[in-house]
This record gives sequence, structure tokens and C-alpha cells, in this order.
Amino acid sequence: MGESPSGKKLKVKEPWFAVRRELPSHRASVLTAISFILPLLIWSAVSYLPFLWHPDIKLQLSADRKDVTTVYTAGDRVSKEFFPEFQEAVRSQNEELEAQLKSDDPLAGSSESSVRRANKKVLRHLAPVLESNGWITSEQTKEDELIYEAWKDVATGKRKLKSPGLSEENIEIAKQNWNAMSAVSPVYDSDNFISVPLLSLVPQGKPSNPDYLPAPHHVASSGLEVLMMPAEGDRPSMVQRIGHSIRIVFGGFLLSALIGIPIGVLCGTYAFFSRLIEPFTDFFRYMPAPTFSTLLVAIFLANDAPKIALVFVGTFFQMVLVVSNTTRGLNMNLLEAAQTLGAKQSQLLTHVVIPGILPSMYNDLRILLGWAWTWLVIAELVGVKSGLTEFIESQGRYRNFDLVFPVIILIGLIGFFTDQFLAFLRGIIFPWTKEGEAMSSHPVAKVILFIPRLIKKAFSSKTSPAPTPQAGQP
Amino acid sequence: MIPPSPDIVDYHEQTPEVKERFTQLKQRPVVLSVDNVTKDFPTRNGVVRALHDIDFEVYRREFMCVIGPSGCGKSTLIRILAGLEIQSEGEVLLDGNPVAGPGPDRGMVFQTYTLFPWLTVKQNVMFGPKMTGHMSAEIEADARQWIDMVGLSKFENSYPHQLSGGMKQRVAIARALANRPRILLMDEPFGALDAQTRAQMQAYLLEIWRNLDITILFITHDLDEAVYLADRILVLKANPGEIDEIIEVSVPRPRSMEQFISPEFIATKHHINQLIHPEQKGDGPVLHFPRLTEAGDDVE
Ligand SMILES: Nc1ncnc2c1ncn2[C@@H]1O[C@H](COP(=O)(O)OP(=O)(O)OP(=O)(O)O)[C@@H](O)[C@H]1O
Ligand SMILES: [Mg+2]
Repeated sequence: MGESPSGKKLKVKEPWFAVRRELPSHRASVLTAISFILPLLIWSAVSYLPFLWHPDIKLQLSADRKDVTTVYTAGDRVSKEFFPEFQEAVRSQNEELEAQLKSDDPLAGSSESSVRRANKKVLRHLAPVLESNGWITSEQTKEDELIYEAWKDVATGKRKLKSPGLSEENIEIAKQNWNAMSAVSPVYDSDNFISVPLLSLVPQGKPSNPDYLPAPHHVASSGLEVLMMPAEGDRPSMVQRIGHSIRIVFGGFLLSALIGIPIGVLCGTYAFFSRLIEPFTDFFRYMPAPTFSTLLVAIFLANDAPKIALVFVGTFFQMVLVVSNTTRGLNMNLLEAAQTLGAKQSQLLTHVVIPGILPSMYNDLRILLGWAWTWLVIAELVGVKSGLTEFIESQGRYRNFDLVFPVIILIGLIGFFTDQFLAFLRGIIFPWTKEGEAMSSHPVAKVILFIPRLIKKAFSSKTSPAPTPQAGQP
Repeated sequence: MIPPSPDIVDYHEQTPEVKERFTQLKQRPVVLSVDNVTKDFPTRNGVVRALHDIDFEVYRREFMCVIGPSGCGKSTLIRILAGLEIQSEGEVLLDGNPVAGPGPDRGMVFQTYTLFPWLTVKQNVMFGPKMTGHMSAEIEADARQWIDMVGLSKFENSYPHQLSGGMKQRVAIARALANRPRILLMDEPFGALDAQTRAQMQAYLLEIWRNLDITILFITHDLDEAVYLADRILVLKANPGEIDEIIEVSVPRPRSMEQFISPEFIATKHHINQLIHPEQKGDGPVLHFPRLTEAGDDVE
């Protein structure tokens, strides 16, 4: 085997693409890893490579424009097209100002106090840059004495701003301004602040993505912060929110399973129930659950009841139909075999139908649990907003998308890991299925399977040994 | 194909011992009596008559095979006997009592695998007795014996998906027998097995039949299987399904595979073959093949 006539080893090449053929396990796991890494890579590339997309400029340094009411501050984003226009506007404003200073009327008719107020604003425009350079803390952005010192250091070259640095033209402006300011007072003096107009710093910024696409590291760091968010007044902590959301999902889901599964099994087993219940259920499921939200609030009032009811309405009707279909899918031969073995009608249900459909029904429920998570988002907006969705809603409204993303991802992770866990559990609960066989050697499975065996052992030792009946007689 | 040498013996001819066996057989009580059973299926294109006026008896401890062309109503017949289908006319009597619905007194082995996948081999065998109200403690030892009988003791705690096809059918036989049925109904039980496994299973079944007080009605479309296993063979013809002939197999018992080439065996097979495929009496059907190759070689 494996030897070609020429003596060379024949290596059978396994194709990557073969219709309905499973890949070898190492390839499968590589692809599974890539399936998660790839989106992450794309996200990182779009976030960190400035030549990809980056349609905006995030301002590091802003300026006020005369006669324009729209005010941008550092941290704001402006479009790439608008940014040069913005800079140009400030430059020409500075040019006008320089011309004005050389004229007979440097104040151009304004009062000294209003010029002083405008100058103080110009002074503070440097603050965001100072803050990100670590020269001042975020609490000190309004301490003009410190900022005044910083202007001096920048202008005299005593210290250099690095991240971000100042552009050449801005250093030039800083020097000019400092010359003017220091001529009035070497240290900051609020009452004796310069009263001839100062030049504005030209806006600076760097390419960035819109705020609705925060970068991965940003999401990760604020994710941790969000997760640890403590309770504050009547605002629940993040852990409490998660708990609340899970309670609503599982509350609604378990309720609909509790009622839906028995009805579904009955519909799938007896034509009587199928004809009686399924047509209306089929009609009802086409009415979207959210349309009932106001009705549910009217019936169940505030708090969690209408929310759980919405998840229930969203999953119950599907559940009945899916379970009844699964029940009907049970191999008819098994039912006939059971009858020839003496099973009566009532025994068929308990001893054949129910055990026979459990594994498929388990999978149905996994899919329906996914639905329940979808309804959660709407449910939590019903009546008094609550849980994770309330957080997403309110933070999203402030455009704090770096806080929104971690929560969205968190919901995804909870759903994903619940499902993975349930899939894993399936092999253990149903050892007679194909997955079950592979699973029975798993260490966790061994522990879980050990418990019922122990109980069985404890009971069987109490029962008397069975009398030996004879097999068939000759 | 069957060698055309029927003139060796007549399939009717029986040795004195075989004759004696059949006389004894017919003196035994009738277990199953099928009286003028007719079955019509209503379909979109009108009524389809699957069985017409079927009338025969099965004696206690008899091994009867039913054979016939595909679609002649073999499965329909056995399903009526099992109570899974209701006849349109006529009556089925088990020990003189009319049959109404399925019951544990008629065990059935299906062609498709019908073991309960969620039960182990032992639990499958215990299923019938449990349904009929026996306590598990009582029946467990009993079930072990049946499993032992079909040679699967090592697998009593295995699940059906871990067994081969032949093993599954052995469990199915044990499961049906565990109910102590009056008659065992088998619908092509070995149809899905490979030739070797099937031969093994046939020998197995004969051994079980010899040692138990059990009557067997066995459906097959395999001539060898029918002649090898049966006391009598009921030949059905199609459209509508009617009894063509009930043949007393003149091959002496105990049977063995060596008898496949005995004159009686071949004569019986030949006769049934002609009943089932009457068109093969002459030169065989004339088929028109397109000439596919230029090779031109005559392989015969
Ligand atoms: N439920 C049904 N409805 C309508 N016609 C049916 C039904 N069941 C069987 N028939 C018809 O009855 C006839 C006998 O069918 P049956 O399955 O008993 O044949 P069979 O002898 O077992 O064939 P095979 O050897 O292929 O298993 C067929 O013509 C079939 O089409
Ligand atoms: Mg059939």
C-alpha cells in the first residue's frame, strides 16, 4: 500500500474542497480558529492602518472661528474634506488679526474686557494637548496658571510637546503669543491679562475612524471598565445588569418551554391536538412579538413581567410548531415495533415518543434559546428600560460607542458559550447518539455520568435479587 | 441462475420420512388461521387491491415462508397479521380468536432496524415484558438469557448504534421472543445483510426455531432462503396479491447448506422460480442493447 510502481511513496492528497466531506480534525480546528481571528484582524486593520478608510480627522487641537457658531473642541471628529477648510479659516483669521494689530485700531472697536475673555479661551485651547502630553492632569485643564507656564515653556523651547507635538506654524504662533503675553505679565494674572487680541492656534488632528467604530484596544480597555462598573444610586452594576438580562431570557424561555413542549409533543403525537391547536398557532406566530409590547405592559404593568411575557410570546408559538414537527419526525417503525411488543397507546407516548425525540428536541431548544436572546433586546425596552439593553440605549445616545461595543459583544459571548455548553452537554445526556459515544470518554462526562450510577447502585443493593425465569422451552 | 434440470425429480415427490413429517405437522393445532382476507387501499386513482381472498393456515411450530414478486402484497399481509393494518374483508384468527390490533402474542421483526436507539441491548429486550406489566427485576435475568441465546452477552450494555446490522437483527429477534409470542412474524429480516451474515443468521434462526416452541411466518424474496428455511412456502402472485400455490418443501430436515445442490432443493427452487417469473420459461426476455463498444468480442 502506498507504493507506486516506480517505488516512490504515494501520498494521498486530501482536498480542501470536497462536497459534503468532513475535513481532518487539525484542519477543522485551524479553520475554527481563523473564523474568529479573521474578523478580529479585519477590525484591527481598519482601526490601526490609517490608509484604510479613516474618513475623519480627530481634533487634537481646536480653535474658535469668528462669526461661526459651530464650535469644535479637541476630541471631536470632522470630515477629512472639511478639516483643511477649517485650518484655512483659522489661518486667514490670524492674518486678518495681524493686519489689524498693525493698524491704528488694534481692538477693532471691541472692549478690552471682551478681548481679554477671548484671549483666555485661546490660552486654554492648548490644554488638551498638554493633558495628552502629561503636562497637566485632566483636573487641571482649567488652571490657567499652569497653562500659562506651559505656553512659556513651549515658546522658549524649555520643554517640547511630543505626543502630539505642535506643528511649526503653531510653535511660531506660540512664540508670538508668548512675547505679547510676557510683555504684560511674566506669570498668569487674571486681572492683568493681555488685552490685545492673541493669535489662534491652527487646528491639528490625526486621521481617525468615525466614533461608531472604536478600535479593538479601546473596546477591550473600556470593556474591562464597563464590566467592573459598580452600582451607583439607582443605577445597577454591570454584573447586576447581566443577571437581570439572563433572568428575563431564561424566565421567558423556560416558561414557554414548560407550556410549549407538552403542547408540541401532544400535537405531534395526536392528530386531534394537531388539528385543534396548530392552525391558530401557525397564524399567531406571524404577528411579530414586539407589536404586543404595549398590550403586555397594559396587562402586566411595570417591572419584569411584561418583559418576560414578550420573550414568551416571541418563542412560545415557534416552540409549539417546532416541537410538534420534531415529534412527527420520529421514525414510525419504532412506534409500530413498540406496538407489536405490546405497548399500549398511553405507553407509546411515555416510552417511545418522548425518549425518541429528546435529542432532536434538545437541539430545537438550543436554537429557540437563541431566539429568546433576540427578543431580550426588545423586551428590555418595554415599559421601564432595564438590563444590558438600557445601558446600550443610553450610552449609544451619547455616542459612547466604546462602551456600547463591549456590552454587545458580551451578549454575544453569553449566548455563544451557553450554546456551546449545551452542545457539549448533549453528548453526555444522550449517550446513545453518535456524539454521545465520542463524549462518554470525556473527563467531565465521566464525572457527570458517575452520579446517576452511584445513585442507581445505592438503590439496586436494596432490591432483592431477581428470580431466574426460564427461557423458551424446547 | 438456476440450472434447467428439473427432470431429476418432481418437487412434489417426498421421501417417506418427509411425508411422515408433514402428516404430523398437519395434525398439530392451527396457530394462525387466515380466512379469505382481502385488502383494498383507497388511492387517488381509485382503489388498489393489494390482497385478494388470501386463505391459509399455519400449524404450531411450523416454519412457513411467504415469497412472491415485489409489490405482490407480502408486507401488507404480514402487517395485517401483526395488526398494524386492518383487512378490508375476511378474518385473522390466532388460536381461534380474531386478531384486533397489534399485540405481544405476535412478535414482529422488521426489515429496517427498529431497535430503540435510546435503550441498551438489554433494555431493548426487556421492553416488551415491561410494557406487559412485568417488574424489571423479574425480567432482567430472563432478558440476559435471550441475549445469550443470540450470542450477544458481551454487548448487553451497548447501544444499538454500536452494533452491526446482523447484531441488530439478532437483538430484534431476541426482543420479539422475550414476549413469548405465539408466532414470530418476520418481514425480510435479513434483506439488508450481506450474503455471509445472512447465511449465518439463517442458520441461527433455524437453531432457535428447533429449540423453542415457536411458530414462524417468514417473508423473503430470496428463493434459496425460502427453500432452506421453510416447511411450507406460500407463493403469492401480484395484481392483485393472490395465493398461487402452497408448496410443501420436500428437502429433509435437519437442513444444511450442503443441501443447496440436492435434487429436491433445486427442483423446488426451479418450480417456484417458474411461478414467480413465468416469462423466463422460454429463451428469456429479449432485450435490445445499443452496441456500446467496437470491441465485438463475444464474452459467452
Ligand atoms: N398504504 C398504502 N396505500 C396505497 N397502496 C399501498 C399501501 N401499502 C401498500 N400498497 C400497495 O399494495 C401493494 C403491495 O405492497 P406491499 O408493500 O405489501 O408489497 P411487497 O410484496 O411487500 O413488496 P416488496 O417485495 O417490494 O416489499 C403495492 O402495489 C403497493 O403499492
Ligand atoms: Mg415488503
